[in-house]
Amino acid sequence: MCVDDELLNTYLDDELQEPWRTQVQEHLGYCNACRQRLEQLRSLHQKLVDARLGDSEIKARQERVFAYFEKTRFPSTNKKMHIFRKKIQVKLVPALITSAAAFVVVFIGAFVLFGTNPQQGQEILPGVASPIDSAHIRQVTEVQKPSLDMFSLEQIVQHLDAMGYAVKLEVKAVTPLE
Amino acid sequence: MEIQSNDERAFKQVYEEVFPILMRVVYHVTNNQDLAEEICQEAFIRFFDKGMEFATLDDAKYWLIRVSKNLAINQVKRKAREQGMVEKLKKMPANHSNTSDGSQVLMEKETRKLVQEAIDQLPEKFRLVIVMKEYTDMDYKQIAQVLHISESNVKVRVYRARKMLESILSQE
Ligand SMILES: [Zn+2]
Repeated sequence: MCVDDELLNTYLDDELQEPWRTQVQEHLGYCNACRQRLEQLRSLHQKLVDARLGDSEIKARQERVFAYFEKTRFPSTNKKMHIFRKKIQVKLVPALITSAAAFVVVFIGAFVLFGTNPQQGQEILPGVASPIDSAHIRQVTEVQKPSLDMFSLEQIVQHLDAMGYAVKLEVKAVTPLE
Repeated sequence: MEIQSNDERAFKQVYEEVFPILMRVVYHVTNNQDLAEEICQEAFIRFFDKGMEFATLDDAKYWLIRVSKNLAINQVKRKAREQGMVEKLKKMPANHSNTSDGSQVLMEKETRKLVQEAIDQLPEKFRLVIVMKEYTDMDYKQIAQVLHISESNVKVRVYRARKMLESILSQE
């Protein structure tokens, strides 16, 4: 007797338990009709899979919704890095980088390791808030003045260096600076 | 690993992992990307704001799928009410056949559209199950858990949904 459609579907989804699984497998070994039917089901399954929403379509929306959460639920954590990244990137482009996709990430080890005193922070960072809880994270608000634009990258690095911070600059896709 | 939904790190981890799955499920259930995005956002807002604890990432995932599935169903129902069934039928293009001059890409696009429209025509309980089966990596048991139905129910609905899809697609 041939395998019914429901069983074949379950078999296709790899959800058929023993001993039925082996029985169906054996049957498929000699029954052309059931093999063909299984192929039909498989190709329908493939058609559906091929019609799935694409990764790139999802990614754009994933980022947009995430930006909403950054803004409304996590306003404190990422601001600092954003400001640094944006401003320093602008300074670096003419001076150091020819690559169009240049991108700078600044690691400020000392912030994380020691924390800073707010006065020092205020000199270089726009509006440094007080530590969130463990003095490990510093927040920069969107206050416009004073702006990092007022300083060159060298000045910023020198200043941080003078205050004893370890500053490491990395340029994405380019050999790291030393 | 326990997950606190309003802990920033945990939230981000769940978001990374679950958003694509959620977006895919909701899109294929609603047949509307913008609406799907809204629903996903709403689901994650609830997830965060409720400050819940989940034993595993999978539990968080199931919760999110369940919530957005409910949101999607409500939206689809509202949309149907607002538009009226006549409008809905009018929206379904009858000119599927004019693909003869299309390129391969166009044909693939057209096939995708046909398949999605076929899914859209399924009754809700079949649509949900087949979408979860084909567009997530969940097995029957997990789908049953999310939808609060039995595993054998999932099995039957997958089978029936495929049968309906076959018949819809063969009419095209
Ligand atoms: Zn047979």
